[in-house]
Formats: sequence, C-alpha cells, structure tokens
Amino acid sequence: MKVISAINLTKRYGKTNAVDKLSFEISEGEIVGFLGPNGAGKTTTLRMLAGLIRPTKGHGEILGQKVPSNSLLSVGTMIEEPAFYKYMTGRDNLRHAAMLHGGVSDRYIDEMLEFVSMEKAAKKRVGAYSQGMRQRLGLARSLLWKPKVLLLDEPTNGLDPVGIAEIRENLRTIAKQGVTILISSHILAELEKFVERIIAVEKGKLIFDGPMSQLISQMDEAQVVYILEATNPEKLSLVLDELGFKYEDLKGQARAYIPQAQANTLLSKLIHAGVELTQASKETEDLEGAYLRLLKEDGRPS
Amino acid sequence: MSALINVMRAELFKSAKKKRTYIMATLLWVILPIIALIVGKIAYVTLNTNFAGNNGVDAQTVVQAFASPFGIARLSLVLPSIISPSFYIIVLALLAALFIGEERNQNMWKTTLVAQPNRFSVLLGKFLVAMILFGILMLGSYLLSFVYGGIGTLFLPTDFSGDWLYLAKLYLLQWLFGVAGMSFAFLMIWWFKNISLGIISIFFLPALLEGIYTVYATVVGFKPVNQLNIFFQGLKLRTTLENLPKYFFSKNFYAPARDPLSNVITELGGNLSNNSDLGPLANIIGANITLTHSAKVMAVYALVFGLIMLWSFRRRDVS
Repeated sequence: MKVISAINLTKRYGKTNAVDKLSFEISEGEIVGFLGPNGAGKTTTLRMLAGLIRPTKGHGEILGQKVPSNSLLSVGTMIEEPAFYKYMTGRDNLRHAAMLHGGVSDRYIDEMLEFVSMEKAAKKRVGAYSQGMRQRLGLARSLLWKPKVLLLDEPTNGLDPVGIAEIRENLRTIAKQGVTILISSHILAELEKFVERIIAVEKGKLIFDGPMSQLISQMDEAQVVYILEATNPEKLSLVLDELGFKYEDLKGQARAYIPQAQANTLLSKLIHAGVELTQASKETEDLEGAYLRLLKEDGRPS
Repeated sequence: MSALINVMRAELFKSAKKKRTYIMATLLWVILPIIALIVGKIAYVTLNTNFAGNNGVDAQTVVQAFASPFGIARLSLVLPSIISPSFYIIVLALLAALFIGEERNQNMWKTTLVAQPNRFSVLLGKFLVAMILFGILMLGSYLLSFVYGGIGTLFLPTDFSGDWLYLAKLYLLQWLFGVAGMSFAFLMIWWFKNISLGIISIFFLPALLEGIYTVYATVVGFKPVNQLNIFFQGLKLRTTLENLPKYFFSKNFYAPARDPLSNVITELGGNLSNNSDLGPLANIIGANITLTHSAKVMAVYALVFGLIMLWSFRRRDVS
C-alpha cells in the first residue's frame, strides 16, 4: 500500500521553483531518508505533504487520500524546530496538542514523555527548556496519536552529540513499530542503519530515488579524502592533475578525492613524482558530505 | 463535529493557562464595580452636603442610577463602550491576538494544523471559544452587579429595582454584535501577521475610515459638482454617501451598550433634545439609529468579515 505519494508536486515562489514536479511513492513501513543540500526543497515538500502549504501544481497523497484530508490525522510531524507555547509546561503543551487531535489519553501522554525521557522536565515551562529538550518534546508530540506516518525534518538539527544519540535511539525504536517514516537529516550517516531508501533532491528536483546501499556503493569509489600540504604546492597540483585525481585548492593545501583502490599508493606516487609533502592526512566523510560532493561531480548518482 | 469540539476543548484549555484572560476579567468584574461604589458613595456625600435641593438633582436618584445593583449592571454595559478605544474592542482585540496572533507569534500554526488539519473546524473552534470568553466576561459582569450592588445597599440608599430583563436583552445583543467585532479582529490579526499591527488596526482602522469620511464630507461635501466628487455624482451615489454614517461600524457596534444612555439622561432630569444637557455624550448617543437597524448592519459586517477570514484562512500557507 502506498502510504506517502508526491505526484508532480510543485511549489513556486515568484519565479523560483522551490519544488519542481517532484514525484515519488513510499510504501507502508518504509523508512526513507530525504536528502538534499539547504534550499533543495526538502522542507517545502514535507510541508506540502503535511497540508501546511498548498502546492502550486500537483498534489500529495497520504494513505491514498489527496492532501489535505482527514488522512492527515494519521500523520505526525516535526518540521524544522518544534514550536511550543512558552508559558505552558511541556506536559500541558502535549495535552493541548492531544486535545486538538482528540483520542489521546493522559496516560499515553505520560508514556510518550517517558519514551523521550522528559517525564520530570515536563512539569517545567517550555520557556526554560534547552533546544535538546524541545526537540525531544517535539518528537513526543509527533507520536501522540500513534501516527502511521512520520514526517521528520532535520530532527537532530542543532543538538549536541548526546542529544543526537538520544533522538537516534528513539527513532530506531519507532522504526521497529512499523511506522512509515520520511526523514530529512544532515546527519544521515548516523541514521544509515535504519534508513532503507534515499530520495534526494536538488533545486526542487528529484535526482536520486533508490536503496541506500546503491547510493553508498556509488560513493564508496570516491570516499577517501586526503588533505595534502607540500613545500612545492605547484608541483603537487601538477602531479594530482597528471594522475587524474580531483582536488580543491585550499590556500596552500589540497583537498584531494581519491578512489578507494588507489588511496594506498597515493603518497608513494606523489613522492616519486618529486612532491615534497609536509602533511598528508586522511579525512573521513559523513554520508551527506560525500553525497554533496557527488552532486558537484559530473556523474551524478542516478 | 468532533474536530470542532476537540478544537474548542484545546482552546479553552489554552486560554485558562493564559494570564491575560484573568486580567480582562479582573478589570470588568472587580475594578469597575468597586470604582462605581466608591464614586457612588463620594457623589452621595458630596451631593447631600453641597448641592442638596439645587437644580432639582436628587442625590438618591443619582446614586440609584450609578451605584445600585441595576445601576452597576448598566454602567458595566455602558462604560466600556464610551471610553476610547472601547473596552469591548480591547477585549476583542486581545482575544483575537490570543487565538490567532499568538499562533503566528510563537510559530504554532504548523503544530495546530498538524494536530487538527480541518482548517474550518480550527477557525470556527477558535472563534466560538473567543465568543464564549467574551460572553462569560459580559455575563459575569451582569451577575456580579447583584453582588456588588447588594453590598452597596448596605451603605448607600439604593435598592434592586430596575428593568433587569431589558438590560439582559441589551447585554445579549451587545454580545451578539461581538460576532462582527470578533470577525473583524480575527481578520486584522490574521492579515497583518503581526499582533501589534493587528491590534492597532482593530483600534483605529474603523475610526480612521470614518474620520476620512467626516473630513471629506465637511471640507468638500457631496452636493456641489466639483472635481473631487463628480465621480460620486455621476454614479448617483450622493444620497448613499450622505447616509453612509448610518452604516459605520462603530456607530452601530455599540448601539446596545449605549442604548441605556438616553434613559440615564432622562432619569437625571436631562433633555435628550438639548445638546447642552447631553454634553460630550451628544456625539455618542446614536440618534436616528435603531437597534434593529444596527443588528442588520452588524449581521452584514459579521458575514462579510467572517467569509473573507474563512476564505483566507483556508488558503494561506503556514510556516
């Protein structure tokens, strides 16, 4: 069963297409990563699917019903930074949302607060919360009505490593319960273990839709990044050009992208060619970093 | 229907958590009647001491008119309508700000409309709760007059007499007129996307438009065919324009609350046809405007503002 569908979804602001004829389908129980650089149209797409903004053309469907419809009552969202009434406590904010939706017991509110480890903090006013607490409370709110669909936009944005780990753990638990999740995140690499599929957009257009493994295999070939510094940088550039490696010139340093198979022999090749290296360090890329670099290359993922 | 009830429950819950709700109630339920009693006592003492037997003014009549249970109930209806900006408009603006403006100010629309995507129910629910609160405020004011006025009977020569039913009808009518006022307040706060700007527009936009009309009518007039009004002449709108003040929002909105003013003036021995008897109230008492006329005008305003608000609310993107 198709749970989330985007059908020629288009949103135009003036002459700019924020989202441009975007189409995809997500089946029941799928966990899909929504990837793209800032301004690619991810948030706009999620907002259209959540019924918050009207598409200029095309439409979204949730549980087979055209958005907006009552099917949105089965959707939980956390789009950008979650907002709350600051004069209310965390618990009262959840109660208010639960009342708006209907059909949520006080006991379940407490369960969700416990799920995100906010049962004690929930008695305080939200105005006193840290960003991490607000994110966790936002996640609890998005789960209040046991949604069949979760639309999450950068749920770990602005969190410290501990907060990221907590949210990640929560999402893993939710994913196991069969909820269909569409999630955009700049730390997609950390969600890699439970995201099965990637939908990638750039400038509002779909540029990749396929299994996570397919994207990773394409990126593996060019995943090693070396930061190189030499006393003779001109020579370094010349040799990198001769060897056919892509690199960026960073004020005396070179950031070189080397295919995995040739990474081990790079340094010896450079030294043999007469490059006097003073520094050579390997840098590990996160998934999105590698993906964004792939976007800049000629051969985009397909 | 359940969506509407859900929204109403949530909004009542929210307003109960907001201090502003209690501040408004305190002003109308506590401060105003207490001032009425204090002023009543001072007036009674002063009139008895300094003006006894003068000008046909009877101290007991004056105190009965202002500080008796009926007097306080009447004052609680009338006084909020003759201050500027009126207390009614302030209350409507604050309620609209609470239910419409705050959602934007605190970036809550996305949360509200995800929890309850039925926009018609969201808008209607918020509107009804705002009207309920406005109603509670007015009903409380009416009922508390018995309490405060009752206390006043202990130290003032007052009693419970008065046409309570007539006054209750005026309270009810003023509350119903609030539908138009609330629609206007919702619309302004929604359109301006800014609470302060919205509230300022609620306070002053009707007066501004009506002021422009008055200036135009005074300076240019509608009768001579000149460059400024030849357009109206051409469209044969002159009579309509001359009658326009009868349809002004503020001329009609306060009609029920200001209706007892003429009774008060008569009770105090004043002559309604004598402007010097009316003093500053001369411009406030709506001459030639009946409650039926005002009700019709307000119904049209409510319908127009309400439909525009609904149309805009269902279409606008929220972030």
